[in-house]
Amino acid sequence: MTKRIAMAQLTSCWGCDQSLLDLHLGLLELLPELEIVYWPAVVDFKLKDLESMPDESIHIGLVEGSCRTEDDVRLLNIMRAKSKILVAWGVCSCYGGIHGLANQWDLDELVDRKFMKADTVTDPRLPSENVPPFVSNVQPNVDVVDFNIMLPGCPPTSKNTIEALSAILSGKPFDLPEKSVCDQCPKVKQDKHITKFHRTHEGRIDPNKCLLDQGYLCLGFATIGFCGAICPTVNSPCKGCFGPVLRVKDHGAKIISALGAIAEMTPEELKDSFPDPIGSFYFTDYAASYLSRMRNKARSKRK
Amino acid sequence: MTGEKIVKIEPVTRLEGHGDITIKIGKDGKVKDAQFNVTSTRFFEKFLEGRFAEEAPKLASRICGICPEPHHLAAVRAVEAAWDVTPPASAVKLRRLLINAKQFSSHALHFFALAAPDFLVGPFGDPGKRNLVTITKALPDVSKMALQMMQFGQELAAAIGGTAIHPVTAIPGGMLNPFSEEKRDQFLKRVTDVKQWTSDTVSLAKKIMDDYMDAITKLAVGPTYYIGTHNEGALEIYDGNIRIMDPDGGIVEDIKPKDYRKYFAEYVPEHSYATHVYYKPVGYPAGVWRAGSLARINVVDRMATPLAQEALQELRAKLGRPIHATFAYHWARIVELVQAIEEIEGLLNDSQIVSKDVKILDVKPKKGDGVGCVEAPRGTLIHHYWTDERGIITKANMIVATNNNIGGIEKSLMEVAKQVFEQKAHQKLKLPKPMIS
Repeated sequence: MTKRIAMAQLTSCWGCDQSLLDLHLGLLELLPELEIVYWPAVVDFKLKDLESMPDESIHIGLVEGSCRTEDDVRLLNIMRAKSKILVAWGVCSCYGGIHGLANQWDLDELVDRKFMKADTVTDPRLPSENVPPFVSNVQPNVDVVDFNIMLPGCPPTSKNTIEALSAILSGKPFDLPEKSVCDQCPKVKQDKHITKFHRTHEGRIDPNKCLLDQGYLCLGFATIGFCGAICPTVNSPCKGCFGPVLRVKDHGAKIISALGAIAEMTPEELKDSFPDPIGSFYFTDYAASYLSRMRNKARSKRK
Repeated sequence: MTGEKIVKIEPVTRLEGHGDITIKIGKDGKVKDAQFNVTSTRFFEKFLEGRFAEEAPKLASRICGICPEPHHLAAVRAVEAAWDVTPPASAVKLRRLLINAKQFSSHALHFFALAAPDFLVGPFGDPGKRNLVTITKALPDVSKMALQMMQFGQELAAAIGGTAIHPVTAIPGGMLNPFSEEKRDQFLKRVTDVKQWTSDTVSLAKKIMDDYMDAITKLAVGPTYYIGTHNEGALEIYDGNIRIMDPDGGIVEDIKPKDYRKYFAEYVPEHSYATHVYYKPVGYPAGVWRAGSLARINVVDRMATPLAQEALQELRAKLGRPIHATFAYHWARIVELVQAIEEIEGLLNDSQIVSKDVKILDVKPKKGDGVGCVEAPRGTLIHHYWTDERGIITKANMIVATNNNIGGIEKSLMEVAKQVFEQKAHQKLKLPKPMIS
C-alpha cells in the first residue's frame, strides 16, 4: 500500500528538494511506494488542498526551510496538524539555517538594507499588499511545533533522505549517527600544534593531512558525521552545515571551548584570529544558539 | 455582471521559490491587475556583512538550492575582483566545467520535471496528474533518459564542487581541489550517451513545439527588453560582457558587468518581496527586461558550439529574432542544453582540466569592491561586494536571475490574463491530443 507524503517549503533555498530529486533513477523505485499529496516543487496541489485534508491524514510530512514570515508559521502548523510523522528536513528546519545569521540584526535594519538602501533600488518601500508580514527573528522549527524526526544537513544528502524515508516506510526507528565528521574523514590526523589559524584562501592545503592540524578552521570535530565528510575530502574545511554532534545544544559554544583546548594560543590571539565568531562558528545554526535566543528575548522585551 | 473577482493561485507550483499569483477582474469583466507575489526573502545582503569574504562563495550558494553553482562562482569572482586576484587558467576551466554541468542538469530538470507535464498531459489535463510522477508511469523510457541526464550534470558538478548542493571548492585565487584523471575518464566515457540523449531531447522538444505552435505564437507574446552575456557575440555563461536588447531587437548596450549600476535599477513593487529589475535609462515599467534562455539567445549573434548553433538556426528559422513568445523559453533552454554538453565535452578533453596546479598561493585581502557576474540557468546574476583591508565584507548588493525576470513575468501574466479572462483565447487554440491522457 502506498503512503501519503507531503513536502512543504518554508523560507528556504529548495536545496532539500533538489537533493531528493538527485536520487535520479532511485526515484523510480521510491515513487511507487508514495502518494504525493503536496509538493509545490513538483506537483500541482495547492495550499487549499492541503488545508482541506483531515488531521493526521498524511503519513509522512517533510518540512524544509524555517519561518521568516507569518505564512511560514501558518504552513508549519498546518503540516504538524495534518501529518502523523513530521520530519524536520534539512538544517533550516532543525536549526534555523543560514538565514538565522540575520538574527544579528533587528528586522527594521534588515528591511532597511534590502528595500530602502540597496544600491540599485530606485523606489524604496516596504511591500505590504498580498505578501505576509515578516516575523521578528528566525527560529528552529522544532521550537515552534513538535517533530518526530530530525534530518539535518545543508542539504541532507540524497542518501540521508532515502535512509530516513526507508526507515519510516518500513516502520523502523530512524536514529542519527553518534559520529562526527572527523570520524568519516579520510585525512590523516597527527598531534595538533596549532599556533596560528590560516584563512581558507591562504597557502596551499596538503590534501593528505587533517585540515585542522594544518591550522585551517575545520569544524568536523564538533559537527555530526552524517554527510560523509564531503568538504574536508575536497580540501574545503568543514563549515558545520549539518549542525552539531548529537546531544550538543550549542554548536558554536562547543567549538569555542574545544578551540581553547586544542590551539596553543592565548585567548587574545584566538580572538584576533576570528573577528567574525558568529559566521565562523554558527554557519547554519545561529538561530539555535544561546546568543541568538538571548538577543531575541532582549528584543521582545524592548518592544 | 457580478462583482469584482479575485483569482488567486497559492502557491504557484512547479517552480523553484515562493510565489503566488493574484489576478483582479473588474465588474466589467476586464482584468485590472495581475500580480506575481514573491512571498518571502532572507536578507542575504545584510547577513553577508561582517563575514570573511573568502567564505562568501559558500554563504551565497545557499541563495538557491537549484542553482548554487552560479551563485558560488559569481561570489568568488566578486571577491577576486575586489582583491585584484587572478586565478590560474586551469581553475577557470574547472569553474567553466562546473557551471556548464549545472546548466545541463538544471535545463534538463526544468524541461522534463517542471515544464513537460503541461505539454505531455496537456494544459487542460487533470491537475492531480500533471506532474513528473505521471510521466514516469506513462513514458518510462523518456523519464529514465531524463533522470540520467540530470544525474550526469549533478554528478559532474559534485565531482568538481565537492557536492552539487552546495559546492565548496571555489576560493579566491582558484580552486581547492584538482580534478583527477580517473574521474575525468569516467565522465568522458559517459559523454557519448549523454550527447545522444541530448539529441533525442532536441527532437522531442521540436515535436512538442511544433504541436503547440499555435499556443506558442498566440499566448503571452508581448515584447520586452532582454539581457544576457556574450563573448564576441557568442553565448557565454561564465565570463563576458552584458548585452541589452530593446523590444525591437536592437542592441542598445554592450557593457562590462562592473558598470552595472549605470544600467540596472530595482523597482520595489507594493505586492512582492522580489524587486523588479529594469533598464535604468528608460525607467519603470517601460524598461522591464527578461533574462535567461530566451533572452540570451535573443541578444547573442550565435551559439559558441556547432550543434547548438544548428539548433539556434532552426529556432530562428521558425520564430525569428528577437523572439518575444514566452513559451519559446522552453525551446531556447534546449538550444542551451546542447551548448552545455558540447562545452562539457570540450573541457573534459582539455588536458589542463586535470592540472594539479589550480590555485595561486599569493592571495591577499585588500580594501575595495568587486563585481562578479555569471549567467545562472534562469538569467544574469550579479554579486557586488565591498571588503575592508582585512577582507571582511562591509556591504553587499546582489541582482539575481529571478529579479531580472519578474517584471517580465508579470507583463506576460497580464497579457495572458487578458487573453484568457477577457477573450477566452485559450478555448480557441489549436492544441494536439495529449501524449498522456
